[in-house]
This record gives sequence, C-alpha cells and structure tokens, in this order.
Amino acid sequence: MKRKYVAGIAAIMMGASMVLSGCGDNNSSKGGEEGNGGSGDKGVVNVFTARHYDIDFAMFDKFETETGITVNEIKGTAEELVERMKREGESTEADLFITVDGGVLNYAKESGVLQPIESEAIFANVPEKYRDTDNQWIGLATRARVIAYAKDRVTPEQLSTYEALAEEQWKGKLLVRSSSNLYNQSLVASLIELNGEEAAEQWASGVVANFARDPEGGDRDQAKAIAAGTGDVAIMNTYYVGQMLHSKDAEEVKVAEGLGVFFPNQATTGTHLNISGIGLTKHAKNKDNALKLVEFMTGKEGQEMLTNGSFEFPVNEAAELPELLKEWGAFTTQTLDFAKLGEYNKKATELMNKAGWK
Amino acid sequence: MLAWLLRGFRQRWNGWIAISGIGAAIALLPSLYIFTGIWGKPGENWGHIRDYMLIDYALQSLLLVVCVVALTVAVGVSLAWLTAAYEFPLRRILSFAFILPLAIPPHIAAYTYGDMLSYTGTVQRLLRNGLGLKLNQAYFDVMSMQGAVFIFTMFLFPYVYLMAKSFLERHSASYIENARLLGQHPLYIFVRVVLPISQGAIVGGASLVAFEVLNDYGVSKHFGIQTFTVGIFKTWFGMYDIESAIRLAAMLMSVIVGLFILERLLRRRKRYHAAANRSAPLQRRKLTGFPAVAAVLFGSVVVLASFVIPVAQLTAWAVWTYADVWNDSFPELIGNTLAICLAAVLLIMLIAVIAANALHTWRSGFTLVASKLLSMGYSMPGAVLSIGVLAVFLSLDHSLAGIYEWLGLGAGRLVLSMSIAMLLFAYVVRFLSVGFNAVDAGREKLGTRLSEASRMLGYSMTRTFFKAELPLLRGALLTGAILSFMEVVKELPLTLLLRPFNFNTLSTKAYQYASDEQIHYAALPSLLIIALGIISVSLFHLLGRRGHE
Repeated sequence: MKRKYVAGIAAIMMGASMVLSGCGDNNSSKGGEEGNGGSGDKGVVNVFTARHYDIDFAMFDKFETETGITVNEIKGTAEELVERMKREGESTEADLFITVDGGVLNYAKESGVLQPIESEAIFANVPEKYRDTDNQWIGLATRARVIAYAKDRVTPEQLSTYEALAEEQWKGKLLVRSSSNLYNQSLVASLIELNGEEAAEQWASGVVANFARDPEGGDRDQAKAIAAGTGDVAIMNTYYVGQMLHSKDAEEVKVAEGLGVFFPNQATTGTHLNISGIGLTKHAKNKDNALKLVEFMTGKEGQEMLTNGSFEFPVNEAAELPELLKEWGAFTTQTLDFAKLGEYNKKATELMNKAGWK
Repeated sequence: MLAWLLRGFRQRWNGWIAISGIGAAIALLPSLYIFTGIWGKPGENWGHIRDYMLIDYALQSLLLVVCVVALTVAVGVSLAWLTAAYEFPLRRILSFAFILPLAIPPHIAAYTYGDMLSYTGTVQRLLRNGLGLKLNQAYFDVMSMQGAVFIFTMFLFPYVYLMAKSFLERHSASYIENARLLGQHPLYIFVRVVLPISQGAIVGGASLVAFEVLNDYGVSKHFGIQTFTVGIFKTWFGMYDIESAIRLAAMLMSVIVGLFILERLLRRRKRYHAAANRSAPLQRRKLTGFPAVAAVLFGSVVVLASFVIPVAQLTAWAVWTYADVWNDSFPELIGNTLAICLAAVLLIMLIAVIAANALHTWRSGFTLVASKLLSMGYSMPGAVLSIGVLAVFLSLDHSLAGIYEWLGLGAGRLVLSMSIAMLLFAYVVRFLSVGFNAVDAGREKLGTRLSEASRMLGYSMTRTFFKAELPLLRGALLTGAILSFMEVVKELPLTLLLRPFNFNTLSTKAYQYASDEQIHYAALPSLLIIALGIISVSLFHLLGRRGHE
C-alpha cells in the first residue's frame, strides 16, 4: 500500500517535470530548429538587449516584415546579460547583444563574448569613430551628456565646461543623479582619461560639495528639480529633454521648455558622448541574419526611425536628424576611444565613492 | 553522534523523506553555489569595497530595517487589535482593506509616489496651478530615507497585521476576557497582554517584513538609499566584479539566516497556550463616540495612503496612456503571467506539502535546519539567485548533452536553460518558503495526536496523510498557494533574467517602462498586476472568514 502511494507521487512529479521540460522544448525548438537551418534567407535572430525602448521593438517588427526573419529577444540589464553569455559559453543561443554605454560595450568585449563584425555594408553605415577598434561592437546611436540650466536664472555665458561645475559659484546649485548611474560613471571615466586621475578625483569632490541635494531619481527628476528651483544646473542626457518636450504631459513640457541645453567644453575637449551599440556574439549561430539586422539598424531608414523615437543622435551620417536635434545645432564632441570609458569605469566608480557621491 | 543520526535515519527512512531530501538538495544547490562565494577568492575590488562601502551599506540597511520593522509593527498590531477586539463603523470593510496593499509591489508604489509628489506630479500641480502656491520642495521629498520607510511601512504592514490578527482572533480570548473582567484599562490590556501574548505572531510578521526590506532593490535604488542589496548591484554593475558581489550576497545571506534562527528562538521561548484547546473567539466590544471616530479615521488614513491613493493615481495614468500602451500583445502578457504563476504555485505547494510532511514525521534538529535551509532562496536578492540557478541549469544541460544529441536536438544545445523550466525552478527556490511556512504552520496547529492515532490504527504514513491530514490542511494549503501566487506575480529580477526568448510578463512590461522613466506608461501593466493581487487577496480573505465562522 505504502509503496503504491509513493510510486504514485513519484509518477506525478515525473509527469510534472516532463510537462515542464516539454514546455521548454517546444519553446526553444521553435527558435532552435529554424535557427539551426537558418543559413538561408529566412529564419531567426536571437537578441540579448539591455535597451528597452518601444522603438527598438518597432524596428525589430519592421525588420521582420521586410525580411521574414524572426527576431527573438531577451531583455535584462547589460551586466546580467553578459554574465549569462559568459556562463552559457559556446552553447549560448544569443546572436546579438545590444546595450547602451561604451563602458559596458567594452566590458562585453573584454569578457570575450563578442566577435569582430566584418561587413563592408555596416562599415559604410557607421564611421570608424563609432566602432570598436576591432569592430567587436558597432555604434547604433549616440547620446550627449550636457548641462541643462534654468533659462530664467542662468545665462549660457556663465557656463563653459564640466570642470567649471566644480567651482565655488555653483555651490548648492548643482543637480545630478547617483554615482551608480552608468552615464555618470562614463563621464567621470572620460575626465580621468582627459585630465588624469587626480584632477578627476578633485573634480568629483568639488561637484559633491556643490550638490543642491543628495542625488536621487533619474535624469528627468533633475530637470524637474530645476523647474522647482531646488537647483540651477543639472548634468543630464539630451534625449531626456527631447522626450520631455514631446511628452503628452503639459507640465513636463513646461519643465522642459524652461530648460536651456548647453553643450560644454566646446572650446576645449568637446562634449561627452555616450554610445548605444550592438555586438555579434562569439558563438552566434545565426550569423548571417544577425548581420542583416545590424545592417538594417544602422542603415539610413533604421537610423531615422531610431532617432525619431528616442531623440538620440544617429551614427549614420546619411540619416536625417529630427527637428529638435537640428535646432540644437552641431557641436564638438570628445574624441576619446569609447573603450577608455570601460577601461576607467572601475577607477571612476571608486573615486566617486571616495568623494562621497552617493 | 553519527551513529545515532544514522540510526534515526534508518528508522524513519521512507519515501517521503527520500523525496523531500532530494527536493531539498536540488532547491539548495543555487543557494549553496552563492554561499561558497564567502570562502571563494575575493574579487579584485574587495579591499576597496570593504574600506569605503561596507560599513555604510550595513548601517543604512540596519537603519532602514529597524525603522520599517518598528513602524510596521506599530501600525500592523494596532490595526489588528482594533479590528479583532472592537466593533466600530466600517470595521468589516476596513479589516479587508488592510490586506490590499499586499497586492501592490513596493517598487511600483515607490515610482507612483515619487512621480505623484514630484514637481510635475498631481499634488504639486494642483497646489501650484490651482492655488498658485510656490512650494518648498523639501516638503515633497519622498525620495529619501524617510520616504523609503514610508513606502515599506505602508506596503508591508499587512504581513504583521495578518499574522497578529489571526492570532488575536483565535487564541487570545481567554487572556483578554480575563483582563477585561479584572477591569483593566484597554491601553493596559494592549501593552501588557496583547503585545506579549502575540509576540510570536508579531515576530513572524516582522521577520517577513525585514526580509522583504533587505532584499528590495527597486525602492532603495530609485530613492537613492545605499542598502546592502544596492551595494551588491553597484559592485556587480559598476565594478563588473561579480565575485565581490557574490561575496556581499553571501554575507547578506548569513545575516538573514541568522535572523531566521533568532526568529525561531524568539518564537520558541515564549509560547502561550490557550487554557482550553477550543478557546472561544474573542468577543468584540462596541466603540462609540470619540474612540469610534478615531478608529475609523486612523483606519481610513492608512487605507488611503496604502491603497486608494496609489491605485487612483495609477488608474488616472492608465486612462491617460491606455491608447498608447494597450496592444495585441497584452492578452498574451496576461496569459503568460497567469500560466507561469499558476504553474509555479502548483510546484511550490507540491514540494511544500511533501517537505512539511517529512519534517513532521521526523522532527529533529537536523530536519529543522533542513527546513530552514529550504527557505534560503527567499533570503537572496533575485538577480544574485538567478546566477546560482543559471549555473545549476547549465551544468545540468552539459551533463545531459549526450541525451540531447541522441534525441536529435543537436550538439551543445541548451535545452533546459533556455526553457521556461529554469524560470519555474527559480520561482520554486525563491518562494518555496512562503508555501512551506503556511503548510508548516497548518501542520503545527493540527498537532500530532491525530496522525499518531491513525498510525496506531495501522494506517501507513501515506494513507494517514491522504485520509486524515490533507483534508484538514486544506485551508493552510490554499493560504500558501494564494500567498505564493501573489509573490510570483510581483516578482521581477528572476523573471527578467531567466525567462526564455520573447517571454514577457506584466511585471517585466511594467519594469520596461518604469526603467525608461516612463512611469505613466507603466500604469496599465502595474494595475493589472495589482488586480491579480486583489483577486488573490480577496480569496484569501474569504477563506479566512469561512475558516473563522
């Protein structure tokens, strides 16, 4: 009697696990089988992405209708996805890896999960300065980290460089988000490369001393704090201003309209740029399809779609800029190798911690 | 010692213990994997972390936990006492409404309050545009330590409330009636009788709150609080040092396991038994006049802050963004969410029942420790746990590679680790303790007399279980199922990282919008999560009432 029940339970558990792995089977074989036979023009491409914009999804959709290639995606934060690819090794199902920030792209490269992209068509789309030195990743769009200021309290003449934000005159007036934010880490990394570690550390301390309040919230929250009068200047990415100006929320539009956008360091080292990029995974099983998707996303049409949806700057010079970006006009950018942002990321985080940048 | 253990083992060895032993071992693998990090080689940044960050993280976490626990106990117990011992207008509705905040994931509440109180948010907008007031921003600064304490208190106090209330209603009558007969002042009764006798229930609820706070990432990160968990992520994502991050996680886990043991000890030492086994339920006294008004007011303020206001705000945003957000994939999102949650709950409860059964037939220090170990998954930040789960599944896939090839799936393929099975496994590891605790508590209430009688009559353990115990455990099973369902619906980091391609849930969708600072667009998926939560909470409430009457 006893044995019978135990056997019954064991059978139920086996059944359950078979159903479960059965589910899994269906799920992965849908991608898998097509993927394995995907050397032709139809098939799949599997994307690990740390970008979560609806516009990216819309682009995948468009690509699907144009080519018949199905795009599968897994989202997550970049570091988690890289860790996953590292652990999956050559068994990984990922073909492409998309993320924001040059530092992370470099981290992916250093982690050995990418391989060089060799495609003249893609090189024609994306100038060399927006590609990894070994072409292990290709830029998709750039984002400028600028100084936003209260139009009614600050004149552009008072602003000059990132470095100047650490000066006495901005005491109690500066807003920026926390040091755990990648954009800030990369900005500091760029200053380490340009001015040296000691100067960067001094700068971070100066900036912390000028904080209008402890760092909190995201870039939009800094913009709102300017409108509220908590502070006068904020370090933020341009595309947030763009998105707020086009918000359906009249109050957000009002906040953004009160902001001036200043591109710093025009006379010196140029405005800090960050980059969104895409890499081909080392063990990609659908390489041809993957390259087609990269080509599509960096092509003129793809780039216009992307930047119109996100207000980032296109990497393809042939792409038409959204009106707003045209209004801001051309500006000089840092000419750093994006790999440096990754190289100095750790140093940057450390010295921000030391400076007490929360 | 070993011989004694072995003898005990041989005597009690049977199918139940075998299955739960194997289950426990499997469920433990990811935690053990992470736990070994504490002895592993420290990452290159360990020195820096230890010198500049560790103390800060520990202190901030401690401050947060202490404040939140103190406040949740204050709010939870006083509400439990009010609704259990007094009759006042709206009591029925309020006593139900106090559970509703459980349906709202704290990180969504944090985003909602953060935006609502921001410069462009509803509150300031009304004051500014309606009344022309120019306001000091400091009054609205919810994104701070105080703000985090507020959010956690408002959305976690139901844990304490639920446990304290069910204890008071069922087990406290004799003490309280006696104190009342002796003519003690109600305040005296509350402080000198209610608090001490419900200590076990309070500690139980408060420790759940403490675990939730320690594991939280969403609220702390958004509000800029440097907690231990935020530190783990900063080490991983900011320094790319996963070894150090795992080490931090292992340290956090040790603290939490310590808390578990402390909780056990606190609950063990003081146990109040009702004089008679079937003590009558507590008689509620009628409140009139000022006390009645005060009770209604207090209750309503809590319900407004912890449920009505955030849900109203989310609803307003959802109406506003509905057209942009709703699309064909939404029904699929809901379907995915329901399917995976139900599957996870089924598995969790199955394992919980087997484990609880084994535990109760062979109660010893050894099995007690084993049962606590089973709950270890609950003590780890989701994203860190996911690394452990991934490691287990990858090695499983590698060892099954031969079979895959034989089945014609191709060489070097990832089958299990690209499937939904991995995500389900992770849910089980993480939330097993929720289901297990409910079943365990149910069994503890049953006592052993019944099963012993059945065994003496010659029924096997299995038959005893199906014939006698399972029907009596029905309530506990449903409670466990509902609570774990709610947890799984709200879960984010595991789902985000371990799901198969193109598999989205309401939670990942809401996260996607919120992480892009588009909280208004996140309102619709958030509301759907809350709706699922409310349905489960209502079921839970109905069940409790039926059990009570």
